Amino acid sequence: MAAESDRLGGPAELADDERAAVEALLYRLADDELVLAERYTEWQVRAPTLESDLALANIAQDELGHARLWYDLLRDFGYDEADLIFERDPADFRHASLAELPFEDGDWADAVVRSYLYDVAEQLRLEALADASYPRIADRVGKIQSEEAYHREHAQNWLERLADDEASLKRLQAAVDRLFPHALALWEPSDHEETIEDLGLRTESLAAMREQWFDTVIPFLRSLGLEPPEGVRENPEAVRPATIGRDGDHTDDWDALHEEMTRTYRELGREEAHKIMPDPDEADA
Amino acid sequence: MIWEVFRQEDAGEYHTHCGNVHAPDREMAKLFAQIQHGRRKPTNSLWVVPKDEIGEVDAEEAAFGGTTDKSYRWVMGYKDLDAAFAEEVAESESEQEDADRASAGGDD
Repeated sequence: MAAESDRLGGPAELADDERAAVEALLYRLADDELVLAERYTEWQVRAPTLESDLALANIAQDELGHARLWYDLLRDFGYDEADLIFERDPADFRHASLAELPFEDGDWADAVVRSYLYDVAEQLRLEALADASYPRIADRVGKIQSEEAYHREHAQNWLERLADDEASLKRLQAAVDRLFPHALALWEPSDHEETIEDLGLRTESLAAMREQWFDTVIPFLRSLGLEPPEGVRENPEAVRPATIGRDGDHTDDWDALHEEMTRTYRELGREEAHKIMPDPDEADA
Repeated sequence: MIWEVFRQEDAGEYHTHCGNVHAPDREMAKLFAQIQHGRRKPTNSLWVVPKDEIGEVDAEEAAFGGTTDKSYRWVMGYKDLDAAFAEEVAESESEQEDADRASAGGDD
């Protein structure tokens, strides 16, 4: 447990640098969840079976719910939903490139591999937030963790079964080759990373979490007959793609996705997001 | 293959058939059933059962309840009571209660 004296106050009590770091951390978390969920929904009515369709739609819904919990903490600082999503400059988003890549057309192996790489990372990230020095973040971790076990089980079960078939194994390997480098972006810093660590907003460094992630995903993929990119552990920088998303530099696919995600809002001439659910704090009360 | 799904709302209650899922094996069936049948309704437990493992006997093969008149089972003889008889029953009941009370008192 972080000592009481190291605990930060509420949103209004933060110093400027503290607030900047809290915001930077929340944008990373929220944007990853929102953008990946948005991609997942492309499988709606297109997944291999009705059952797999519903399972992935359910996972997407969970991730949207998690995005909402993190964006809601940004609302503490005076931003509204339009500022955070619908009217935000796409270049201001801080999600990892893994989340924004389009799926290879009809390639379920892509969805399964992506979800596996992401959900193991999310587990580590949440564990490192459980004792965050900013109580508003720490308080929301448990709620998210309780939905994550299903995501990992789903991805692992699919991987094990697809790996059992020669043709599917090849597709999995192609997905690993393509997605593993972009998954490294999950562990890249965005803004104010040093302050995030110094303040104990997260209790593990990005580098340490990346090592833990390697410890889990590499042996598991190998046990299925899948090879991660050569030398990735020793020299991740050599494997990491040029465009990682975390710094606001995104692929062209992101602009197209953002355009589509916000189209209805613009077409309806909205100036604020339609509110259909109570504030998470009120829902908990 | 098809797995029939049975849902239990609260501990101790019966598992009631609620639909099915397509899945290659038991583990995937349980995974899919959680979403398809356990997410939107109160659920304490789910069973998944291979459809082929379910034994069925239907009304074409069996005469459920038999073919002879067994309406005595329904105790419908009491449904046509007139008011006077109802009073008689009530009196009889209260006599019985008095007797029970007296005998219970006698035991003390």
